[in-house]
Amino acid sequence: MHHKLGEFEEIVLLLVAAQHGEAYGLSITRAIEKELSRPVTMSSVHTALYRLEEKGYVSSHIGDAEGNRRGRRKRVFLITAEGKKSLIEARDARNHIWDMIPKFVIEFS
Amino acid sequence: MKELPEDINPPKWADRFFKWYCYAPLHESIYGDMQERYDEYLERYGLRKANRKYWLDVLRFMNRHTLKRSKNSKVNTYNPLSMLSNYLKVGFRNLLKNRSFTVINVLGLSVSMAVCLVIILMINDQLSYDNFQANKDRIYRFTHERTNGRIGLPIATVPVVLGDRMQADFAGFEHMVRFSRGFGGEILQDGKAIAINGLQTEQSFFEMFSFKLEQGNIETCLKEPNSIVLRKDIAEKLFGDKNPMGETITVDTDENYLVTGVLEAFPGKTHIEFESLVSMTGRTFSNWEGTTEGWVYFTLQEGVSMDGLEPMLTALQEEHYNEQSEYLVDFNIQKMTDITPGPLYGNQIGSSMPNFFVIGLAILALLIIICAAFNYANLSAARALTRTKEVGVRKVMGARKGHLTIQFIVESILVSLLSLVVAIGLLQFLIPAFENLQMSSLLNWDLSLEPKIYAQFIGFSVLVGLITGLFPSLYLASFRPIEAMKNAISSNKLSRVNLRKALIICQFVISLVLIVSSTLVYKQIKFMVEKDYGYTKENVINVELQGQDYEILKTELSRLPFVERISATNLIPNTGQTTNVDAKRNFTEEPVNFNYFAVDEGYIDNLNLTLVAGDNFLPTQKDGDETTIILNETGAKTLGFETALDAINEPVILGDSTRVTVAGVVKDYNYMVLYMDIKPMMFRYRPSSFRYAQVKITGFDISDEMTALEATWDKFDPNHEMIAKTFQGQIDEFNAFFYDILYIIGLVAILSITIATLGLLGIATYSIQVRLKEVSIRKVLGASSKGLILLLSKGFMYLFGIAMVIGFTLAYLGNSLWLDGFAYRVSFGVDIFLITALVMIGIGILTIGLQALRATTTNPANILRDD
Repeated sequence: MHHKLGEFEEIVLLLVAAQHGEAYGLSITRAIEKELSRPVTMSSVHTALYRLEEKGYVSSHIGDAEGNRRGRRKRVFLITAEGKKSLIEARDARNHIWDMIPKFVIEFS
Repeated sequence: MKELPEDINPPKWADRFFKWYCYAPLHESIYGDMQERYDEYLERYGLRKANRKYWLDVLRFMNRHTLKRSKNSKVNTYNPLSMLSNYLKVGFRNLLKNRSFTVINVLGLSVSMAVCLVIILMINDQLSYDNFQANKDRIYRFTHERTNGRIGLPIATVPVVLGDRMQADFAGFEHMVRFSRGFGGEILQDGKAIAINGLQTEQSFFEMFSFKLEQGNIETCLKEPNSIVLRKDIAEKLFGDKNPMGETITVDTDENYLVTGVLEAFPGKTHIEFESLVSMTGRTFSNWEGTTEGWVYFTLQEGVSMDGLEPMLTALQEEHYNEQSEYLVDFNIQKMTDITPGPLYGNQIGSSMPNFFVIGLAILALLIIICAAFNYANLSAARALTRTKEVGVRKVMGARKGHLTIQFIVESILVSLLSLVVAIGLLQFLIPAFENLQMSSLLNWDLSLEPKIYAQFIGFSVLVGLITGLFPSLYLASFRPIEAMKNAISSNKLSRVNLRKALIICQFVISLVLIVSSTLVYKQIKFMVEKDYGYTKENVINVELQGQDYEILKTELSRLPFVERISATNLIPNTGQTTNVDAKRNFTEEPVNFNYFAVDEGYIDNLNLTLVAGDNFLPTQKDGDETTIILNETGAKTLGFETALDAINEPVILGDSTRVTVAGVVKDYNYMVLYMDIKPMMFRYRPSSFRYAQVKITGFDISDEMTALEATWDKFDPNHEMIAKTFQGQIDEFNAFFYDILYIIGLVAILSITIATLGLLGIATYSIQVRLKEVSIRKVLGASSKGLILLLSKGFMYLFGIAMVIGFTLAYLGNSLWLDGFAYRVSFGVDIFLITALVMIGIGILTIGLQALRATTTNPANILRDD
């Protein structure tokens, strides 16, 4: 089964990989807001995570309850081998397109 | 990160809502994330905006991942039906296991249910009126109200000419049926006079209403003047097996009618009451003052609006009624489906019960069933305590709250269906009893049990089961498995019984009042019936004269060997009827109102009255004018005579001018309904008013003698049946009304005492179950059984005391109200209160004492084993 990654999903998956072992819904939301300066709702991040989980690109387990969570534990997401593969595929596809751009287009823009 | 105060929490309702919709496995992590986020919001935006953002988050999280899953989920399979057979099995076993409990529950519920079923039948009967009319939703009638003077009831009749005028002025009518009252009289058939009544109407009757003809032409039967269409049973009564078609009926010896049709038996009840329909052809109506003349029904053509009628009615009102006319009249329109059941109208076309009565009945049914349901719930909750282990095991095995709720509701529906069976059994006794009531004969109840009604019954009992089961089942299902298994349901949770105690007191107060009242009503009726009226009525047969000459009848009847004496009168005493006349001693005095009886010279002897002064009427008087009267003692006193003797031969003026002298004074006796005192009364010798021959017989064999009387009557007047009743019978008939009341109060008393007892039983069982452990410990420590029973009953004795004080006070006050209206009344007597108190205490000892005894005799080891 091979799914295409959506653009938003790709960002979320990248961040799951980046925050290896520490990634949960809110941490990714915060990262998107900080790194990409782009407003995002928590629920859309969660939804993306669940969708990725359905596709088999991430796995989840119940983690600790650190932070002001009123005692509720986190659901921590980890990238799977499938996920890594599809990230690499996505990057390769992008790189391939990058390579197609004539040099001067970027240099003189 | 800055620590935020933990005590600022996000909006509670948002949390609840989130928990309600969120898929359980995801709930924790998302909720945690939202908490962190909320604190960030708090820091950045402040409380109000944070709360708003939090709400937004909660709402945004709703999507296909987070919503609760009903089907595909493996965790929460929710199909209660799969367990249904198990619930039923366990339910049945439980009912069998606690037989006494089941019997009490079923009996209690079924008694109340039976009463509700009767009421359901009555309501059904009321709603069944005119359902067979095909046009029932399109038929309307004109009604009117008199708007000057006292505002009275709306009246169903209108001047018939209103119909004619409307038809002339308004083109939109499809059919119009005018009815006029006033047909009725006696028909002489085979030498017997048979009374008949009917409505005058026109051919369109058969087009608008769905009455069918068995014989005759439905298009022409009422076209010709003097044609008559008979109801089937009337045709059979008049003609027997003979074909009535084409026969002539003579009404009141001078009007001839030709039978042109026989109606089929009606397919259902109808609000239009008639024995026959008579053609209206040839009659014209023009009298606008005749507001009670008849009824006018109409249907409009398809698509024609009612709006056009109102202004025309208003115009007609103004045209025909003004300050000079007898009434100011306001015409209205009433839909047929609003007639029965409907509001109270004067001059209805048939007798009917006003709708507030129906609503009242429905409320009564509701109250009864709420009381019963409440008690049942109490009892079940008490029972529940013995089933905590089952609940615990079920929960451990994976039952959810919903499952358990459904299980216990199924059980209570089971009980309620069982009760329904018993209640339907009870109905077989209740319905005839109800139909025997005097008042039911007026309304012609049709309380037959049709399949449709059974469906309603079952629906009703399932509903009752559902409602009664809801409370105990929710309560049972809320046990925590561990506590339930350990039998450690805290008694705090169960001790909120104050409301219940108040309700129990209420129920007992009501029962007390009813028991006292019904005993009093019974005593009063007995007293009234058995009281010495001051005259002899034994062996007196009252024969209605029916217009025949008294003297001739007297001669005929005197020939019979067993007839001792015959006298005449216009009224039977003690049946609520009176005739009155004003009397004074001279023209300047204020007159005194007297009741009078028109009697002959045999009356005083026949009734064994005593003349205290003067003489009886002379038999020779009957031919001349009225010259003498006989007063009773009160009458003589009221007219100002000091002693009875003073009155003799004194002149008295009756009415405006009739001068008579007092012939005698008779000792006071009770001639009125017994709640009234003896009033001034006189006998007048007026043969023209005689309506009854009072025949004193030897009474050796009353039925034989009656037969002989009848034979003589038949020879004397072959056209009328003899109407004769024993004196006592006639008075009893009048008193039947009181028996009706006694009957109803008695029934309600039994019902309320049943409900109250069950309620008490429930709460007693409940409270004692809760204290079982305490009792066991006390027992182990050496408490005596007697002491324990006292301990357990103490609280209830207190309740009982309160109920009795309130109940007896209310009963005393309430019953004094009506008893004071009676001139001759029984006293309350200590006995009534004593007996009631004893009954109550007996019930109390039986219910509470037995429960307490049971609690004290259980082996403490069984109860304390788990601790």
